[in-house]
Amino acid sequence: MFLELENTAIALWVGTSLWAYPFLLSIHIVGLAIVVGIFSMRDLRLLGVFNALPISTFSYLKNFAIAGFALNAFSGVLLFTSQASVFVTNVPFLTKITAILIGMVLAFIIQSKLTSEIDTKTKLLALVSLACWISAIVAGRLIAYIF
Amino acid sequence: MLVSFAESIVDSALTYWIQSTYWLWPILEITHFIGLTLLLGGLIVIDLRMAGFFRAIDPVTTHKILPAVILGFVLNLITGILFFYGDPMRYSINIGFQIKMLLVLIAGVNAAVYHLKVDPILQNMDRSLASPVIAKLVAYTSLGTWTGVLLLGRLIPYLGTG
Repeated sequence: MFLELENTAIALWVGTSLWAYPFLLSIHIVGLAIVVGIFSMRDLRLLGVFNALPISTFSYLKNFAIAGFALNAFSGVLLFTSQASVFVTNVPFLTKITAILIGMVLAFIIQSKLTSEIDTKTKLLALVSLACWISAIVAGRLIAYIF
Repeated sequence: MLVSFAESIVDSALTYWIQSTYWLWPILEITHFIGLTLLLGGLIVIDLRMAGFFRAIDPVTTHKILPAVILGFVLNLITGILFFYGDPMRYSINIGFQIKMLLVLIAGVNAAVYHLKVDPILQNMDRSLASPVIAKLVAYTSLGTWTGVLLLGRLIPYLGTG
């Protein structure tokens, strides 16, 4: 199935075009900065760093974070297709995807708690979320080193 | 200038250490990525507010996030210098790296304008009013230059000599 995906026209374009892969990687790092940037600032704020900043700031930033995520889902899927059969058994890649999925589920749970009093449970969610996004970055970078 | 500096350090002990230390390069890369996340994440909050988004939030309170931005910058300055020392002849002649450094300089000048001009205005104005033009200009310049820094940084391995 993943070999078939690799041989689709779009996957072949990503894999063989001179500029497709670098272009998609560039998009992917901008999306990373937006989505992980906003979520990590939100988590740090929930954990008590820069307390003077109103938590409601992050309610307004929700759509920007979603836009960053969409950018990376789009570029990520295209990058994936070019080497699908390799990525699908790559431990760092699978770790990265797991961390992102947990991070996104937590993002929706945390979003619903931004308007209420920040309790210990919310802080714990923020801590796990922060750990997920750091893991996603670490694992993502390791894809290039661990096969 | 960049190339002559690269030639002067290419045989340095630091260059040798970076090249010969097992797993150092990926650790530097991971740190550089975490640094860019702190830098851009903080700037997105500050600059979007300064550009006029979510005006219910006092812009001065968003500036409390600046330590994260500065920490991210310092992390990336240190790891960046180590990358350059690790492979000076590759970076110094790379057009992507050269333009990236130029954009970092522009972002630095822009940050100085923010500190000297915009911040005093924001401190003293009715903050529920629309952002002054200079604040918007500084905010979009900041987001634009740093996005350019990200794009060019990622393209360094794919670009040729300047």
